[in-house]
Amino acid sequence: MMDIGILSIIIFLPMVVALILLLTPINQNGTRNMAFIVSVIIFCLALFIYTNFQLTGTIQLREFHPWIKAYGINYSLGIDGFSLIVLMLIATLIPSAYLLLWNNNRPKNYWISMLFIQSGISGTLFSLDLILFYFFWEAMLLPVFMIIGLFGSGNRVYSTLKVTIYTIMGSLFMFVSILYLGVAFYYEFGSWSFELSDLVQITTISHGHRVLLFLGFMLAFSIKIPLFPFHTWLLETYSNSPTGGVFLLSSIMAKLGAYALVRFMIPLFPDIFVELSSVFVGLGIFGLVYFGIAAISQHNIKKMFAYSSASHLGFITAGIFSLNVHGMMGSAFLIVAHAMATGGLFLLVGVLERNLGIRSIDGMGGIAAKAPLFTVFFGIMVLCTVGIPGTNGFVAELLIVLGLFKYNAFAGILSALTVLVAASYMFWLFQKAILANSENDVSAMVDLDWKEVLGLLPLSLLIIAMGIYPDLFLYKIEPTIQHYLMEILHVGAKV
Amino acid sequence: MNWVELSYLLPLIVIGSGAVILMLLSPIEKISMERFSLLTFIFIFVALLCDLYYFGVLYTSFPLKHIFSKMLISDSYSVYFDALLLSGALVTILVGMHYFQTKRKFKKEFFSLFLFSVFGMMLLVHANELLTAFIALEIASLSLYVMVGFQKYDTRRVEASYQYLVLGSLSGVFFLLGSALIYAGVGTTILGDIGKEVDMLMGKDISLVVIGGTFLLVTFLFKISAFPFQNWTIDVYDGAPLPVTAFMAATFKVAIFGFILRIMLVDLDPIREIWDELFFVIITATLLYGSFLAVIQRSLKRMLAASSIVHTGYILIAFVSIGVVGESASSSVIYYLVAYFLSSMGAFGLISYITADDHVRVTYEDFRGFAHVHPYMAAMLSIFMLSLAGLPGTIGFVGKFYIFTGAIEAGNTILAVFGVTATFISIYYYFKLIALMYFYPTAEMEDIPPLKGIAPLVIGFIAFAVIWGGIGNTFVAYFPGIDFLIDTARLSYMSLFIK
Repeated sequence: MMDIGILSIIIFLPMVVALILLLTPINQNGTRNMAFIVSVIIFCLALFIYTNFQLTGTIQLREFHPWIKAYGINYSLGIDGFSLIVLMLIATLIPSAYLLLWNNNRPKNYWISMLFIQSGISGTLFSLDLILFYFFWEAMLLPVFMIIGLFGSGNRVYSTLKVTIYTIMGSLFMFVSILYLGVAFYYEFGSWSFELSDLVQITTISHGHRVLLFLGFMLAFSIKIPLFPFHTWLLETYSNSPTGGVFLLSSIMAKLGAYALVRFMIPLFPDIFVELSSVFVGLGIFGLVYFGIAAISQHNIKKMFAYSSASHLGFITAGIFSLNVHGMMGSAFLIVAHAMATGGLFLLVGVLERNLGIRSIDGMGGIAAKAPLFTVFFGIMVLCTVGIPGTNGFVAELLIVLGLFKYNAFAGILSALTVLVAASYMFWLFQKAILANSENDVSAMVDLDWKEVLGLLPLSLLIIAMGIYPDLFLYKIEPTIQHYLMEILHVGAKV
Repeated sequence: MNWVELSYLLPLIVIGSGAVILMLLSPIEKISMERFSLLTFIFIFVALLCDLYYFGVLYTSFPLKHIFSKMLISDSYSVYFDALLLSGALVTILVGMHYFQTKRKFKKEFFSLFLFSVFGMMLLVHANELLTAFIALEIASLSLYVMVGFQKYDTRRVEASYQYLVLGSLSGVFFLLGSALIYAGVGTTILGDIGKEVDMLMGKDISLVVIGGTFLLVTFLFKISAFPFQNWTIDVYDGAPLPVTAFMAATFKVAIFGFILRIMLVDLDPIREIWDELFFVIITATLLYGSFLAVIQRSLKRMLAASSIVHTGYILIAFVSIGVVGESASSSVIYYLVAYFLSSMGAFGLISYITADDHVRVTYEDFRGFAHVHPYMAAMLSIFMLSLAGLPGTIGFVGKFYIFTGAIEAGNTILAVFGVTATFISIYYYFKLIALMYFYPTAEMEDIPPLKGIAPLVIGFIAFAVIWGGIGNTFVAYFPGIDFLIDTARLSYMSLFIK
């Protein structure tokens, strides 16, 4: 009997369509249109899940099939409040991104890679079996490898090899940790399983080994996020990737690292999570400051956004490890807010590149006069990134700062001050590259067309709506966060 | 005459008589090369069918005991390995057919030698006695020595052949000495009986058996090219004609492990721990030095040769875990052999198919922009590279999963970490090829040559098997998936212990 659930459809629809497109002689525009249709279908499915989601802290929409019986590996899917938020994020962002990439005139393989990546992302998001999770986590890499290598700029082959090898290094150590957990479960309970809900019951592993296992997982996630000091792949990869690739890397795949942190690290290693929280809050805040300062000195927009993105992800990580409702809710919120803002910004930079070629910030200016719509959307995204009240970025950053204050006053003060750093480089960029008049020739700049506006409009509205009335979204995720904190970590109290 | 017992040996008989028949036919000018390769194919195919009749059946027997005494054994284990060896031979012939036909230097005797080496390998898997095993090993090796140097006008081939011959014979001597010492220690060379004697001698002086066993291991480590006996591998693999390289890499290791597992699991089981520390060093060195060798190669063929050393290291990881978790570790050895066999057979076979057209395509640089000329072949080659690198979705991943799980199960987590490190290094040299094929324009834009012959189909089939072995599952009923492979591997393991 094969019964296919809605989560499986979300995972495999893009993959199947991509395979069909790959094998049929359909042309470039046909591929693009199909990719867009698939992303809209997935958006509708996600919306359906969102409206029917029950407000309990439990896992819903379970799907379960045995896969490799000899080792108890199952095809096991499900979502909770946290994954629901990320799902909605992906489902909204990807159609928008396709609309903005519409005019980029990319060949067929570009769209096929994008579809494959989407499958990998959804699979990673829903997996409750650790081997299945690893499967999708790695499977996601291959289309990324292809999209950067085929369509990137600059030293693209070097960049794509570097990021692939770097990421695989991290995931392989996570792989060993997963296997170790599986074996420990086998020795304790006499049967094989890699199911998350089974592995959390292990009691036999010594404390020292648990720390090592925790670090094995953290290596994979830290590289993906990236946390300081595992960020050395970031700059080249972001600046040499094509727009679609950098969009997926920064606004979705990096967030998956943060997501996996909550999804797997908290239930599997609650004690270590609490114990080492200070280290990771420290690393997160250090990254926030360090990458923020690094961003100031950049003269290439993509590189500046790369650092800005890393800086915010450091903030997200610090929030997750702050062990209280404010910090974690803020992180979940910032994952969404930042994905929208950064995603939007990278897509808009793609529009800039398409019209003007690759330029430094000094080589631009006066774009506002040529492209008013572009400027409006760019402005909204900048405001959200900086965290101006009225945008969801503000709510998120406020919550995290609050959470960090609760964790440690110094951490709170430091993070609150650092928000100013983002303001300094973002406004400088906005003023210099977009608003200010200059001698540079920007006559090639064309304003956004209706498709691109259609793509950016939902993001901008959401940014503002979530900024003004955050409860509309927070209530879906709160039970899950409470569940993580109260029942697993045994810390924190109700808001 | 006991027909059932005879039927156990039928695959061996078919291949053995096939080799003799082909040898007798080879002077006849009228029979063309095509006919010869077809005949070879038929012999192997018939043998495979005979073998598959007993596939998945749990049994053990000493066939024709009144003639061979306990020298030969036939059990589910040998059936499994025979099936692997025969499919390896079959694929070599199918993929190599194009190569043999275009390179006119090949003579018909080649096919006879080829069948003799298959015969030797199968005999090795069936051997239940040390001297029989030695004879089988030498039949297989001697045929391979000649096959490696088959084009005698090419000095590279002759050099490879001599290197292989001299070093291989030297290692063979260790086997003989080891057998003699074991005989001196326990008074028998028959497997099973050795085990009983060793059991009885436990607590007494068994140094003769230990030294003898160590000498046997030297031969094995040489043949599977583990550190410190890996030096010949790259030169010999590089010098040999490509189909022969494919055959050596994919099948010879299978046969060697077929015998080494049998003797280690049953007979030397009580004293195996003695070698554990030694194996730790050997494995670490094999993995790291093999990786180093693979990284520095410029030629694709040499890289694949070096990476076969690394894969030996992975298999040895499972091999040392056998002491603690016999069943899962030995079935993981078997599964990994299948995984490596498919991936390397695919890769070498594909490269030999390409080189049949033009001689140059063996270095990395020759593959620059390859995907734009041969999209199908490039996709297949990428699949094999991904499987060798062990990326999820391929059989190589499942193979590594078992190996590392087995190692952790046995408490050798540190070996798993070394294995993972080697895997991570391997990403570099496997992905480099994919990057070269896809991310650069071709140097010379030639017309896309049409795919000829049966080889592309066979390669496509192997690629499918590689993918299926990585994701295949119970969703599709009546189609053997991963579980089927694991179950049969376990079954063959169990048959070793039927008394």
